[in-house]
Order: sequence, then C-alpha cells, then structure tokens
Amino acid sequence: MNGILIAMIITLLIPLYTGFYHDEIWEKMLAFATISCKTAMMILVISVLRDDWMIGVVAIIVLSVGNAGLMLLAHLIKRLDEEKI
Amino acid sequence: MTETYVYFIVALLPLSALMLVLQVNPLHALVIRGLLGAIAALVDAVLGAADVALTEALVGTMLSVTLYAIAVRSSLVLRFGVLTDNKDDGELFHLLRNICRQYHLRFKLISYPDQESLEAALRNKEIQAFAHEQDTNYHTITRVKRLYEILETELSPSITSLTYQNLTNSVEKH
Repeated sequence: MNGILIAMIITLLIPLYTGFYHDEIWEKMLAFATISCKTAMMILVISVLRDDWMIGVVAIIVLSVGNAGLMLLAHLIKRLDEEKI
Repeated sequence: MTETYVYFIVALLPLSALMLVLQVNPLHALVIRGLLGAIAALVDAVLGAADVALTEALVGTMLSVTLYAIAVRSSLVLRFGVLTDNKDDGELFHLLRNICRQYHLRFKLISYPDQESLEAALRNKEIQAFAHEQDTNYHTITRVKRLYEILETELSPSITSLTYQNLTNSVEKH
C-alpha cells in the first residue's frame, strides 16, 4: 500500500511543476485545483489505511472547503481580468 | 512512525514554500499560497493532527487567500485620469500599460469632462496621475513620488513631460 501512496506523491509533483513554471494565472489555478483534490484524496487513502475515521472526516471537509475556496478565488480573479479590458 | 511515505509528504512542504517565496506577482503568489495550505493540511493529517489540518484548510486555503485577493484587487491599481475627448489609445497609454504590467499593477483609465475636474480629482485622491494634451505633446502630473520615479526612468521626454505635485501641504490645511 505504501507503493500506491508514493505513486500519488509523484503525481502530485506534476501540477506543482506546471504551477511554478507557467506564467498564466489560470494555469496556476488549474494546478491549485488538482493539488487540493489530490491532497484530500491522499488524506482519505491514509485514513482508510490507518482505519482512523477522524482523519477521514477531515479529508471530506478539506475536499469541500478546498473547492469552495477555489471557486471564490476564481470569481475574484475573473472580475480582475474583466476590469483590465 | 515507520512508514517511508511520510518523509516524502513532509518534503513537499518546504518545496512548495520555496515556490511561494520565489513568486514575484502578488496574485500568482496568492494561488501558490492556497496550494501551500493544501499541502500543509496533508502533512498535518498524515502526522495525526486532524484538528490542525482542519483549521489549516479552513483558514489557510479559504479565508486568508480570499481576504488577500480582495486586498490585492483594491490596492495594486494605477488610476489614471484623462480628458474625455482624448480617451483613444495613444502611444502614451500603450506605454503606461506596459510599465504597469512590468510592476504587476493594474491600469485603469478614468475620463473626466474638463481640466478643472481632473485637477480636483487629483487633489481629492481619486486618481494617482493624469495626462492632458499641451500643444503637440502630453503633460503628465502625478501626486505619488514613487510613481514619478518609475515614470521618469521609463518614459522619454519626447512622449510626455512629467511633473510631481506634492499634495501634503494642501492636506494639512484641511
């Protein structure tokens, strides 16, 4: 099972790389979206591995809150882009 | 704690923190800050601190990023006054847009009907600078010292002449 988690960590490095090297703000938002989803999924996997449901509940909340924060931020950045024109 | 994957997960935290420190654009840094919050929540959960992970996700990813996005949106802007009849995109405005992009500022043109209202807007701190046509050339007046220094180095005198207007004396009179 450790192998699965290490594979998940390596896939986490791909959006980290794209988020750092691309200058477009929406590329960074995409990297943020995938990473917030992936970290929440990793916490879920770990909670199942350890049979600890407290961590599992936290994973669900992190998943929903991460997406909510992302949508708020996306709306603010979209408004900024519209003002530029 | 004998699992090997824990070390890999904890190593992600300084990596993303370094990414955040190396960002120059404030908005990009904000997005990376959200990313750092997600990874910090992961590290907290892996090390067994579920309550800390929850707080980090709520505050670090959502609240602070949203509040800072509003702060960046309302502060990093150059409001530039211009007369209504020469609002078309001339060379000066094109250059100003480029300078603002270089300094990660947003450029906002605000048009006023006449010269008096332009000067009043500068005095009331509605705009940071304005330009008006003088003979064949533009004349730009700013009330921000730093802006004057930036424009002095970037704009050539053949495009516009530049004046710094110190408003602190008039503010003290109020």
